[in-house]
Formats: sequence, C-alpha cells, structure tokens
Amino acid sequence: MIRLILTALAVCLVMSYRCLADTDEQVATRSDVIDFAGAFQNDGFKIRDGNFFGKVSKDHSEVVAVNLYSGNAYWFTASTGQKVEKLKVSVFDDNGKPVSYLPYQSGTRAAAGFSPDASGLYYVKVALEEGQPATFCLIYSYK
Amino acid sequence: MSVIALVSTVSALADQQSTAQPTALDSPLSADELKNAVSIDALTVPTPGEFFKAIEKGGKPNWTSEYRPPISINSTDRAQMALNLGTLIADGYIAVEAHDGQQVKNVGKDVLALAKKLSVSQSVLARGQSIAQFAENDAWEQLNEELEATQNEVKKALEENRDTDLITLVSIGGWIRGTEVITGLVLQNYNPEDAKLLRQPALVNYLKGKLAALPEKIQKDPLVQTVSRDLDSIQKMVSFSADHVPTVDEVKDLNIAASKITKEIGASE
Repeated sequence: MIRLILTALAVCLVMSYRCLADTDEQVATRSDVIDFAGAFQNDGFKIRDGNFFGKVSKDHSEVVAVNLYSGNAYWFTASTGQKVEKLKVSVFDDNGKPVSYLPYQSGTRAAAGFSPDASGLYYVKVALEEGQPATFCLIYSYK
Repeated sequence: MSVIALVSTVSALADQQSTAQPTALDSPLSADELKNAVSIDALTVPTPGEFFKAIEKGGKPNWTSEYRPPISINSTDRAQMALNLGTLIADGYIAVEAHDGQQVKNVGKDVLALAKKLSVSQSVLARGQSIAQFAENDAWEQLNEELEATQNEVKKALEENRDTDLITLVSIGGWIRGTEVITGLVLQNYNPEDAKLLRQPALVNYLKGKLAALPEKIQKDPLVQTVSRDLDSIQKMVSFSADHVPTVDEVKDLNIAASKITKEIGASE
C-alpha cells in the first residue's frame, strides 16, 4: 500500500514537472492550433491527440514525416499563436516532391488539406514567410 | 470524395483569408530538409483508429469477426507486456468500431491490468474509468478519442518512468495488430482500394530503426528478437510501389505474417 502511494506521488510529481517544462509559448501555440482545428472538427475531422513543437524563422523551416492512408482526408494545421506573421504549411511526397493540396493561410495560422492517392510516407513542412522567429505547434486531423 | 470533404471545410473558414485552390507550386524539399525531417511517434506513427477509419470508406466492415480470444496478461517480461499493451489498445479501437460496449470494457480492464504491471496505472486509471463510462453511454466518438488519449497517456507515463524504450514496443504492438485486422477485413471483401492501404514501407522502416536503437538488454529479449526478425519479412510485403495493388494472395501472406507476430506477442511465457 505504501509502495502504491509512493508510486502515485512520484507520478504526480513527474506530471507536474512535465507541465512546468512546457513553456508558456508552447501552451499558447497548442491552445491556438487546437482552437483553429476546431473548424475542421465541425466538419467531421477528428483531431489526432499528438503534436509537434518546432521553431521557425525566415531561413529555417521544419519538416515532419507522417504516414498517411489513401482514402482518408487530412488537414495539417500549425499556429505560432502570437504576433502577426505569415506562416505556411505545405505537403510533399516521399521523395520530397510537392503534391497538390489545399493551402490555407491567415497570419499566425496556416493549414494544408490533403487527400493522398497512395498510402505511405509524406512530409509536412512548416515555414515562416514573414515575421520574427517563433515557436509553432503542428497537429493534424483526419476523416 | 475526399477532395470535396476538404473543400467544404475550407469554405467553413470563409470568414478568414484562404486560398481554396489545390496547389503544387512549392519547390521540392532539399536533400538537407529530407535528411533532417523529424519523425516522432505522436505524428509519424498513425494510430490504429486512423488505419481503421480508412477501411470504413468502402462500407461498414464486420469488426466483430476480427475479435480474438482473450490473451494472457500474466507475463513478467516487460517487453512482452509493452507489446501486448499495444495490441490491446488496438483491440479497444476494434470494439469501439464494432460499437460493442461490453467488449470495450473487457479490453479496457486488460489494458489497465497491464498498465498497472508496468507501473503506469495511476496516470491511466482516470482514462480507464472514462472509457467504462463512455462505453456505458454508447458514446463512440468520445471513446475513440479516449482510447487515443489513453495510448498517449501510457506512453507519457512510460517516458516519465524512464521506460522510454518500451514506448516503441507499444507502438509496434498496436501497428502489428492493426495490420492483422485490416488484412483480415480486406480478405473478407477484397477490393483494390482497401488493399492499397497496406502500403507502409517507411513506417516499418521507422519502427525497425527504433527497435535497433533499443538498449542491448531489450534487444536480446527473445520475443523482441522474434518480432524484429518477423518485421523484416513484413517490411518487404508492405514495400510496394505506389501504383501496385496487392493481390489477394499478397494480402493473405501479410495477414499470416501479422497474425503470427500477434500470437507470439500474446502467448503465455
């Protein structure tokens, strides 16, 4: 019993540490990107419970590998949650070649809608076209 | 159909600035960008739910046909427990897809029991209670989300318990069981569109890379060695070109290979 209580306490402590480890910036960007993706959720898209935090500047973008299924429709959404910038999300095939996707851009927020013809590896790029370096949060939704 | 789905969503954002025309005007990724692309479990490894959503496009599959007998959760081998946990979470998704509340609760109980043995039960306990409650209320959408959150919670707790190595095994267990189920469903009602879902060369490569990076002690675990060897043959089966449609026999071979691993993972010590 004592062991169980100690384990519970340890887990609680580690959990609180983890929360503290998240920066305010990350919390803000995650909150904003989830709010943004809510529009897709209303249209039947399910937000995947996972995210990626990265940093972008005009000369540094981030690329994330994702494995997608043909037949599903996806929205990749990113937000910096601060300042007025021009963020961009784009999609590439497994060779790094651009694919046809629906772009969406609105200042600190950007998204790319994509329906793969073939299942497999794709790359999602988050880039900053205008503005100061910032932290962003990337999530995706599917249906 | 999917393009229509995307366009209708863009129109939902009409009050904000947007371009709703498909585009492919971007420059290709540079060699450096490809080399430095980030791969993380949370986005790179699809959830079983995502896999299952794709096969539902062709009509409601017979999910209950993919149930399996309860597995032994008495193992003391932590690697086996982690692999089993992954397969059980996939079982949870199957029960949700089948809208089978009792099965969801049964699987949830096993997930909690295994989580407890891996010392992560405290953080997933609340999730387990929510799962039972949602199952009671037939809240299938919430259940889907809760299962995904549970999987992440388990992984997070393993990370916090400095058991990060086991996270890879949870992901592998989930993907293998998902592949067994999908191939089983494709074989019941073969059609090329569903068969094309099985193309995932990079994913298996990623999972194998994670296995290879595990500490020597885990790599020497007999079950992990077997899974690693079996993944080699599975990798070949899912590594076909984008324009190839797997034949019935190819799907059957993959189903046999995935079932074999699932059985090995679920076997008593």
